[in-house]
Amino acid sequence: MATYMDVNLVKYLCSCGKKFPICRLYLCKHCLKPRCIDCVQHEVDTPYCPNCLETMPTGEAKLKKNRCSNCFDCPVCGHTLMTRATTHTTPNPEDPTKVITKKMYYMACGFCRWTTRDVNLPDQSVATGNWPELENPNSKRISTLLDNYRAMAQIEKAERERKKYVKRRSHLYLQEKYGLPSSAMKRKGLSSLASLSQKDGDKVLGELEPSATVDSFEPLPNDFFTQPAALDKTTKLPNRLNVPEFQPEETGKLHIIHKHLLMRKSLRCKECEHNLIKADFNPVSIKFKIQLTALNHVPELRILNPCTFTYNKESVVTLTLSNPSVFNTTVTLAAIENETDTDYCTGKIDLPKKELVLAGRDEPSMHVYDDSSQAHLDFKDDPKVIAFRKANKIGFIVKVTPLVKEGDVRVCFLLKHEFRNTTVAALQSESKEPEIVWLEHKVYISLGQI
Amino acid sequence: MASHGKGTNNPNVKIAAGAMVCEDCELIGDITIGSRTIIHPKAKIVAEAGPIVIGDFNIIEELVTITNKSSSDGNSGKVLIIGNNNVFEVGANVEAIRIGDHNVIEGKASVGSQVEVSNGCIIGAGCQLNMPELVPENTVVYGGKCERRTQRERPPAQTLQIDFLTKILPNYHYLMKPNLQPRQASVKK
Ligand SMILES: [Zn+2]
Ligand SMILES: [Zn+2]
Ligand SMILES: [Zn+2]
Ligand SMILES: [Zn+2]
Repeated sequence: MATYMDVNLVKYLCSCGKKFPICRLYLCKHCLKPRCIDCVQHEVDTPYCPNCLETMPTGEAKLKKNRCSNCFDCPVCGHTLMTRATTHTTPNPEDPTKVITKKMYYMACGFCRWTTRDVNLPDQSVATGNWPELENPNSKRISTLLDNYRAMAQIEKAERERKKYVKRRSHLYLQEKYGLPSSAMKRKGLSSLASLSQKDGDKVLGELEPSATVDSFEPLPNDFFTQPAALDKTTKLPNRLNVPEFQPEETGKLHIIHKHLLMRKSLRCKECEHNLIKADFNPVSIKFKIQLTALNHVPELRILNPCTFTYNKESVVTLTLSNPSVFNTTVTLAAIENETDTDYCTGKIDLPKKELVLAGRDEPSMHVYDDSSQAHLDFKDDPKVIAFRKANKIGFIVKVTPLVKEGDVRVCFLLKHEFRNTTVAALQSESKEPEIVWLEHKVYISLGQI
Repeated sequence: MASHGKGTNNPNVKIAAGAMVCEDCELIGDITIGSRTIIHPKAKIVAEAGPIVIGDFNIIEELVTITNKSSSDGNSGKVLIIGNNNVFEVGANVEAIRIGDHNVIEGKASVGSQVEVSNGCIIGAGCQLNMPELVPENTVVYGGKCERRTQRERPPAQTLQIDFLTKILPNYHYLMKPNLQPRQASVKK
């Protein structure tokens, strides 16, 4: 999990020119370039409820105002509410000696202990809802406004159509403007569309009453100044802003809030239009159909431990590289020629000249502690360069000379590594062997303070 | 079991019949434990400034610390009274002046030495109360900012949990022997 701590110390350059920690990057297998969250296309797969995991088509979600109809949030703290069952006993009307027991349900927050009983919502006889809905006091106004905007959009669309047409035959426009029947337009089959939408729009536009400006408020009631504030009965600002349509001021007027839906999204490379991230269709599943995160394909570079630096003096720094691939991978490091981001580097780095070979990642053997490994002999490691070797990971030594008297010591270099392209297209080549390509990544490291 | 028998050495510990006090907990000073109260192993109760009296039907979980702290106002000798039906969850730290009935002190919560907790309160996980106050009835303290609200009903008694623990604890832990006969009526404060 160390990958996800201090992630901002080592950054890789995305193809779009932004620096990101490797765990935030994707690698397009088709373009063979790194991509980041800012330069890929985000697509909505399906809205779903994060609590009951029900998915629904976008249209239906829109109708439900992007909220789940069965799950609710606590109006006080925002936690998901749980359904609690209780038994109610009522005397049997026919036989007073017996009682009827009935299962009843209410909702409770496990975090702040708010319950629907706190606001006197009666318990329900079914477990899944049937909770009373509050009617938005402004719903009529909102729907007239919506209708109006829709009509406006239609008028504008018609206007655009007409302009296209009028450019060529301007006298027709005049005719139509004054309500004259235009045989020419009728023949073109355009008039019906244009005039209909025009009429509709006129009607709605006429009905709409303009918003009224509020220029004075009722003065605060005297109680407000004379009575002590009942803070335990007053809602807090976030409670009110959670439900902009009601904005309850008293705790007794709080009402359960339908849970917001979330989006399952997929990511697509903008250049080659292949998917980079595609989740499994089933929202319960945490698997991916396609998951091209860079961490699974590009060797990960980390700083082994913090170092102390002195101005203009060479310090030894150990960096580690781990290989995500099951194949042995060769890596070379080189200085970046004609670096554009000249402000970044504040130190000179001496890189190993030789190729570094990373052993393949072998999942089962990674969990076996084996100290007697002969790996460093197998790979003929130079102890001056390779500090240690363990499974798919090596520690290697670089020498860094800070060029600033104080501040961050930052270096950058080029990391080239072998990559076995296992895309279908690449596999269809004659050899049937994954094609080996060399990928280059610019790596920016913040080594620490001087 | 290195600590086996540690608690029983304290002659000032009075355990009512029906209480379950695991031997592997630390009881220091003059402590009275009411009937059907359950004290888990590794709990620590320190009657430092004065006696601690714990009522009936309380659950005191692992790593809970309850201390009767000597404060500078010279009120040493005061008795820390804990009422009935309280739950002290794992790692709670209580130094309160008094704890009423039906309270829940959730995990890792801390109740300072100048705080008095009335009845039906819930001090949420990790919440800290340090200022001198009397926590009003049915108060819920919750969340990272220790926000407060008043609940309508006090938390329910944990009778089922107490029954369960009474059955299960003796199977795995040595218990201290009760040395008080059942009282006719609960001690009223
Ligand atoms: Zn990018
Ligand atoms: Zn739901
Ligand atoms: Zn809540
Ligand atoms: Zn691509």
